[in-house]
Amino acid sequence: MGLGNLAYNKLKNICESLGEHNDALYAVLAIAVFKGVMRPTFTMMDKKSDKETKKYAAFREGLTEAIAFCSYLITHKIFKTLAPALAKKTGKSEKKIANGLSLFSVCLTAGIIIPAICNLTLKPVMDFVKKIGDKKKIKFEDKTEQNKLNIKENSVNPDTRILNFNTLYSPKISQNAQSLMDALYKNRMQNYNMKVGG
Amino acid sequence: MSIFVNAITSNAFQTIAQNTDACVKIETGLKAIGRPAFTLIDKNTDKETRKYAATKELLYQLLCFGIYVAVIPRVFKNGGYKLFQKIFSKEGLPKFRNAKQMLAYYHLAHVPLNIRKDRQYQKFWDLIPGDIIDTTNKTTKFPNGTPIVEYLRNWEKDKITEKGKMFKLAKGSIELSSIIGSVIGLTILAPEISHLILHPVMNELGMNKETHKQTQPRETKVFDKQA
Repeated sequence: MGLGNLAYNKLKNICESLGEHNDALYAVLAIAVFKGVMRPTFTMMDKKSDKETKKYAAFREGLTEAIAFCSYLITHKIFKTLAPALAKKTGKSEKKIANGLSLFSVCLTAGIIIPAICNLTLKPVMDFVKKIGDKKKIKFEDKTEQNKLNIKENSVNPDTRILNFNTLYSPKISQNAQSLMDALYKNRMQNYNMKVGG
Repeated sequence: MSIFVNAITSNAFQTIAQNTDACVKIETGLKAIGRPAFTLIDKNTDKETRKYAATKELLYQLLCFGIYVAVIPRVFKNGGYKLFQKIFSKEGLPKFRNAKQMLAYYHLAHVPLNIRKDRQYQKFWDLIPGDIIDTTNKTTKFPNGTPIVEYLRNWEKDKITEKGKMFKLAKGSIELSSIIGSVIGLTILAPEISHLILHPVMNELGMNKETHKQTQPRETKVFDKQA
């Protein structure tokens, strides 16, 4: 079977199954998945905003869509379990009740559940993420500050008077040196009083 | 409880539940009401920020709705249906001229046979032209092929026949192209168009982003539209 035939059969199966039963959930899930991928991508591609704002906005958008996706799935699952009981109680077709409940759950989730969850969770989660980001930033800044400090501490003050010029620029070659590089290195350590591995 | 079950099992509700186009319109409409409402009652942010975000959200969702109504049925539903008619040409799909005719047929096919000819369904009967024939089913009565409307007079719902399967393929192709259209319309077109339209409209409404930025802390600055 060729690849074309395989794709044709797959497409035919999808269309037949959608024709047989098209759940209201399919479209909203597809939209949530694609929005969750496309919107953060578009946000990150925006060259006008700064990097941190873009990261924050993209994460927020991705998180919102993840919440939407999970909410649709969970409410659909919960409502679906009610269908047999309702069918038993009212004597109506279970398939029809399940179909109706599916649309009802989508409406309820889109109009109330997702905005409510987003209101309750987005801010704390984003604050938490921001806190982590800030901690990392502070750590990074501390490190760079320290590095700067080390450089200053170890650097030679340009105003210092050089008392013994010969000790600096006329190195004594160590007796134990195996090569020229070795000799220069050992000599440098001696001159600046630096501890190797300190 | 029985009122609720009666409502969700009614023919109208069932038709909407099976129709991608209607479901997405309802979902977008509810988002346009729910999201601004929840943004307004959010106590984590100050009043001005809430007002700004709720207005922006409302405008964005209305824009999405507008784009959806204007683009999806015309471009994706009909275009997609015609494309699938070509792709599945050897399957003998009914030669409806557009998706609306096919959906009218599908709607009638799901109405019980005893009430199918009632006056309330006349608008659906009017949409189905008598000259559309199914050439794969030639009989002595119809040597050139059976008129599609003949099936409606005899074809019971839930009757799984090869003919039924064929119409399911047509219905499925409309739904698939609607889903693809919804995804493209709401994830690519809407954000791009909103980017061009929203800020000028917000400025016209006296809700300038720059003046708004000055009155709010940094963490609430990126208060953009949600899903």
